[in-house]
Amino acid sequence: MATTATVHQTKWWSGGKSPFNLEYGKLMMWYFLMSDAFTFGAFLISYGSIRFSQNFWPDPNVVFNAFPGAGHANLPLAFVSVMTFILIISSVTMVLAVHAGHKGDKAGVIKWLGWTIVGGLAFLSCQAWEWHHLITGEHAVLVDGKIDIIGQTMRVNPWGALANHEAVAAALQNTSHETLVNLAHQGNHALAHEQLSAMTDKQLISSINLEELHVRAKGPVAFGGYFFGITGFHGFHVLSGVVINIIMLTMTQKNVFQNRGHYLMIEKAGLYWHFVDLVWVFVFLCFYLI
Amino acid sequence: MQHPAFEEVTIHHHHADDESFHKKVRKTTILLSVITVIELAIGLSIYTIHKGEDPNELLVLMFKGMVCILTLAKAYYIVSVFMHLGDEIRNMIMTIVVPLMLFIWFIAAFIWDGNSYKNLRNTYDKHFKETTMPVKHGQKEEAKPAAPASGKE
Amino acid sequence: MSEAINIHSGAAGHAVHHDDHGHGHPEQSFISKYIFSMDHKTIGKQFLITGIVWAIIGGLFSVLFRLQLGFPDQSFPILETFFGHWAKGGQIQPEFYYGLVTIHGTVLVFFVLTAGLSGTFANLLIPLQIGARDMASPFLNMLSYWFFFIASIIMLSSIFVHTGPASGGWTMYPPLSALRQAGDGQKIGTDLWLIAMALFIVSSLLGGLNYISTILNMRTKGMSMTRLPLPVWAMFFTAVLGVLSFPVLLSGAILLIFDRNLGTSFYLSDIVINGEILPNEGGSAILYQHLFWFLGHPEVYIILLPAMGMVSEILSVNARKPIFGYMAMLGSMFSIAVLAFLVWAHHMFVTGLNPFLGSVFVLLTLLIAVPSAIKVFNWLTTLWRGNIRFTPAALFAIGFVSLFISGGLTGIFLGNSTIDIHLHDTMFVVAHFHIVMGVASFFGMFAGVYHWFPKMFGRYLNNTLGYLHFWVTMVGAYLIFWPMHYQGLAGMPRRYLDKRGWVSFNQFADLDKMITVVSIIVFAVQLMFVFNFFYSIFKGRKVTSQNPWGANTLEWTTKIKPGHGNWDGEIPEVHRWPYDYAKDGREFIPQTEPVGANESKH
Repeated sequence: MATTATVHQTKWWSGGKSPFNLEYGKLMMWYFLMSDAFTFGAFLISYGSIRFSQNFWPDPNVVFNAFPGAGHANLPLAFVSVMTFILIISSVTMVLAVHAGHKGDKAGVIKWLGWTIVGGLAFLSCQAWEWHHLITGEHAVLVDGKIDIIGQTMRVNPWGALANHEAVAAALQNTSHETLVNLAHQGNHALAHEQLSAMTDKQLISSINLEELHVRAKGPVAFGGYFFGITGFHGFHVLSGVVINIIMLTMTQKNVFQNRGHYLMIEKAGLYWHFVDLVWVFVFLCFYLI
Repeated sequence: MQHPAFEEVTIHHHHADDESFHKKVRKTTILLSVITVIELAIGLSIYTIHKGEDPNELLVLMFKGMVCILTLAKAYYIVSVFMHLGDEIRNMIMTIVVPLMLFIWFIAAFIWDGNSYKNLRNTYDKHFKETTMPVKHGQKEEAKPAAPASGKE
Repeated sequence: MSEAINIHSGAAGHAVHHDDHGHGHPEQSFISKYIFSMDHKTIGKQFLITGIVWAIIGGLFSVLFRLQLGFPDQSFPILETFFGHWAKGGQIQPEFYYGLVTIHGTVLVFFVLTAGLSGTFANLLIPLQIGARDMASPFLNMLSYWFFFIASIIMLSSIFVHTGPASGGWTMYPPLSALRQAGDGQKIGTDLWLIAMALFIVSSLLGGLNYISTILNMRTKGMSMTRLPLPVWAMFFTAVLGVLSFPVLLSGAILLIFDRNLGTSFYLSDIVINGEILPNEGGSAILYQHLFWFLGHPEVYIILLPAMGMVSEILSVNARKPIFGYMAMLGSMFSIAVLAFLVWAHHMFVTGLNPFLGSVFVLLTLLIAVPSAIKVFNWLTTLWRGNIRFTPAALFAIGFVSLFISGGLTGIFLGNSTIDIHLHDTMFVVAHFHIVMGVASFFGMFAGVYHWFPKMFGRYLNNTLGYLHFWVTMVGAYLIFWPMHYQGLAGMPRRYLDKRGWVSFNQFADLDKMITVVSIIVFAVQLMFVFNFFYSIFKGRKVTSQNPWGANTLEWTTKIKPGHGNWDGEIPEVHRWPYDYAKDGREFIPQTEPVGANESKH
């Protein structure tokens, strides 16, 4: 092929041309993404380092098992797989937008960029739900000989090892009335909160089924920090990607690229967006799969 | 589409025609989805193994290794097809891939030292060991690490 | 953006777009010409002048804490006049002392020797020496300076807050830096420090990305990579180091901000402070050190490499000889750049780092001696039997080589974990890195300023003041830092503000006085240089020839005071490497001259 022949004959490094056959803007975007890869890399590697420095780490399947609208059903990894697919699909629509740009097809760019933005917003909404669910989650945790109800925050982690029945039975005796009501309610939805509140501690304890009550010790605190920190930093990238895409969309609509004669800006925005997807692949691996 | 604005670009990229392009994108999308499904399946298998009475740690480790490899495959497809790095000339591919090699030592040293920190604390910080070491069902207590050499401090 | 693109197509493709630009807007306003300028030369000068301001502040701080170290019994009432309760009774208070040390380190490492050195000379030299009209993206280049400026303002403001500046040391190790209750310096001052550093990182990334893309993409015709002058190669490696390692510091700083403000436990575990047991658990302070030094070690090469590159150029020009071993220079800079990423934990031998892992780091660290030695031999052989012109620039370049040797050798001591366990955190370390990284890089910077001042301002610096500057600084640097080796070997710790409690260190009291006195003199001489600098901008001897040093590189083919766009006509084409000195009976042959038929090969 003619092109292949020129590629081999060109003296790429001789000056007067780009040795990579790329305009500087795209080159800068690539190198920016490389440096950003080191930012994310440093976060994920720190997470790895801390995780290796702990004797116990929560099983992601236990932590991430909820699905919007599915109540307390145990659906490990279901929701995060939806999020992953949303991001993959939005990456595909971005590829199509860039392709439309190559052809100078303004309508195509607008259409596919629009879908990409929708995908990004959908992902962010999913993340918001997941964070909310984790933070407000109610998990029975054995703390200092009694049971507390706590959620997953940056300061505390409810996903330690499962406590044994004897310890739980003993701890129930020291547990506050409020918490007992809550625990009884989790096991038996038939009774209203008020009815349970009226019962004595003893009645409540006897109504709690120890077999179904999964009480855990407190887990490694760093889990929450890293989870919220890294998914938050990724979410921030998604958000800025959405903003960039919205800017690109308006610029396309205003014929900025049409007049310029090329849609290279869309390509650069596309690189950024794919990078966000790429990072998610690794976040998905590190937090949800292993 | 030529870019007269960029004279540093010697050969203008020939963009694939619609049909072969769509075919390539479709193929990659399916590939990524299939890999993700396999990853999820492995993730769930790890879950089932963990729920079992006597989790086979080696099997879990193997599964985790497999997920890592699959993730690298996904990353490869995203970078090479979606980000079109595969379509660039070799110089460009190398300038991106070679610096990423730094991650090897970056990851190895950090993980190594994290692991070492755990071992050091399990050896010298009894409280840390007692409070964080999970009790495993039906497993012999691990051989205790050698106590710190008693001697003049 | 589109405007920038239009200018730059010309840079690479030799179209004379410059006319559209340069003459299209002949009347630039003061603001767009001198303040929000997109001209790389102006941005370089902005970096240099900001760097000079910071160097004065940082240097002054070192004089202040040297007063405390040299004269711990004495009271200096003037200090109380200026610093109030920070120097109660004319004596520097502990919190003040630690604030001074911290800001001195941060400012000189990052604001002076990173931004002030590579920011200045990368901006000035890259487009001029590779034959480009400007940086790849002049706009991002301008942003790079202004991010640096904002970072400077924030760092400066931290000195004036009530609780004082950050005082956790320039490395800002947690847990000290992560806990507000640990002291005044850990309050708002540390937050400001972290914000300033985050902005600084943004600035350095914007700059670095630009330098890399410019060097790769914007070289003029014929300027192949192996015809690049060595300063450009040095700036290239510097930028690569910055782009790949600064993000890691950013991550580390973000985690530290979280630990300080959001109650996370990335770096904190098992802490009791002021009788209070903190709930933080599971973090690792060693992790921060890993993240910090993953940047911190490349950082010392970010500081040193530009100096090395400029020294190579200046030595060759002033020895009137080709640089010895051009390819070996490239190879050793490349291996230094690679090794820079692999050796970070040699700063952490005493932290509880895994000893076996430590030994791997020892091995990798000692490998750096090889390329460093190659460079030293190449400089010496470049000088060997040269026809040396002892200009101030050449003297500083030779001084650089001397300092690099003395400081580099002590690096071999410290790179060995067994010896480092004895020397760690002693004055020996202070001596080592001040000589090899601090003073040596300053010498590279001074050499660069004396050498390229004519290009920057169209005038010369005063030579007499230049010679005085060199000799006092050279002798002073050795007088200040050489004795510190002995102190360190004797076990005298660094960072302590009062060592009178140790009988064994009393023998060094007079030595410490001497060091303090010399450092005051050296500081005064730097002020003289600053005077020379600003005086010569306006009143210096005028440059009358286009190529005052008889150098080969492209920057001397421009007008004496080039405008934005650098060359009036087409950008010259390059036909040879930049070091054809004393060849075929000619003193120098510029890069633009085509290779003659009968020319000998170099």
